[in-house]
Amino acid sequence: MLLVGKILLGAAGSVVAMGAMISSEGFVNVKVRETKPDGVHLHIIAPVILMNIGLHFVPQRNLKNAAEQVKPWLPVIDATVKGLKDSENVQLVEVTGPDHHVKVATDGGYMVVDVTDPGDEVHVALPLSEIDRAAHEIAAAGPTL
Amino acid sequence: MKKFMQVGAVVCLLGSAAFGAPTEKYLHVRVTNTSDKEVVSVNVPLSLAEKVVPAINHGKLSQGKVTIDEGEMKDVDVRAILEAVKNSPDGEYVTIQGKDQDVRVAKSKGNLVVHVTDKSKAKEKGGSKVDVIIPMSVVNALMPSDKHEIDLVAAIHALSNSGEKLMVTVHDSDDDVKVWVDAESGSNEPSAKE
Repeated sequence: MLLVGKILLGAAGSVVAMGAMISSEGFVNVKVRETKPDGVHLHIIAPVILMNIGLHFVPQRNLKNAAEQVKPWLPVIDATVKGLKDSENVQLVEVTGPDHHVKVATDGGYMVVDVTDPGDEVHVALPLSEIDRAAHEIAAAGPTL
Repeated sequence: MKKFMQVGAVVCLLGSAAFGAPTEKYLHVRVTNTSDKEVVSVNVPLSLAEKVVPAINHGKLSQGKVTIDEGEMKDVDVRAILEAVKNSPDGEYVTIQGKDQDVRVAKSKGNLVVHVTDKSKAKEKGGSKVDVIIPMSVVNALMPSDKHEIDLVAAIHALSNSGEKLMVTVHDSDDDVKVWVDAESGSNEPSAKE
């Protein structure tokens, strides 16, 4: 009985540790809602760590072009992310039209993009640090200069 | 007594940190397109711009400075002109009233003020009007001692130290553009300044 208890405790500890590890880097939140009657409603909250793992499985040849474009701008991306992290929450861009609305803002260490148009509503929230990490990951897939 | 002094020192330190912390300033750009009925607002913390601009190394922009070709300057010593303007009293420096354009350049309350009215399209489209108000400290920071470069980072730094200003307004038949600096992170309409 004591052994079973120890095993259960170990399993529970592992689950908690894994959960803590998975959630330590934050979550990506994507919400898509088509406003037409039979439209798609999609809401994904995924740990950032899964995105990182997923990026490793993308064949390098598919990232080559993106890598070449991203690489020269890495210092700018680094500086921007660092600057945004150091700044207070700010609404960076807002576009308001007769039938559309776009908002790009930072909120609690996340980059948040909201798009509303007559057909769709899209909400994406991504940790700022992940933008930097993904850019470096993509750049690393390209040829070394 | 010692404890009291320690607490006092901590309070003083916290107080000086709180009052000494500079207020974040934001550069706001708002473009209103009257024909499309679309409004685009961009808000950039100046501290962010100060960090990002030096990281951009593209074209003539490097390390926060824009290099000006000698040919573009055409032997004009902009630095000397700015120095002269800086040391001159407030007043109107240039007033041109032409058939197509009215131009007015003045110095007022520590600001360089430029007003341009384009009358060429006035009849068919209502013309266009550009008003620029830039603190002299920013203009001076833009042009360092080397006359062949524009120091954007120094200008941004000067801008964050200057007061809140409505800097640029452009108005024509289709678009209204406003550029201003204040301590508001949102893009609320700037109050009339100057």
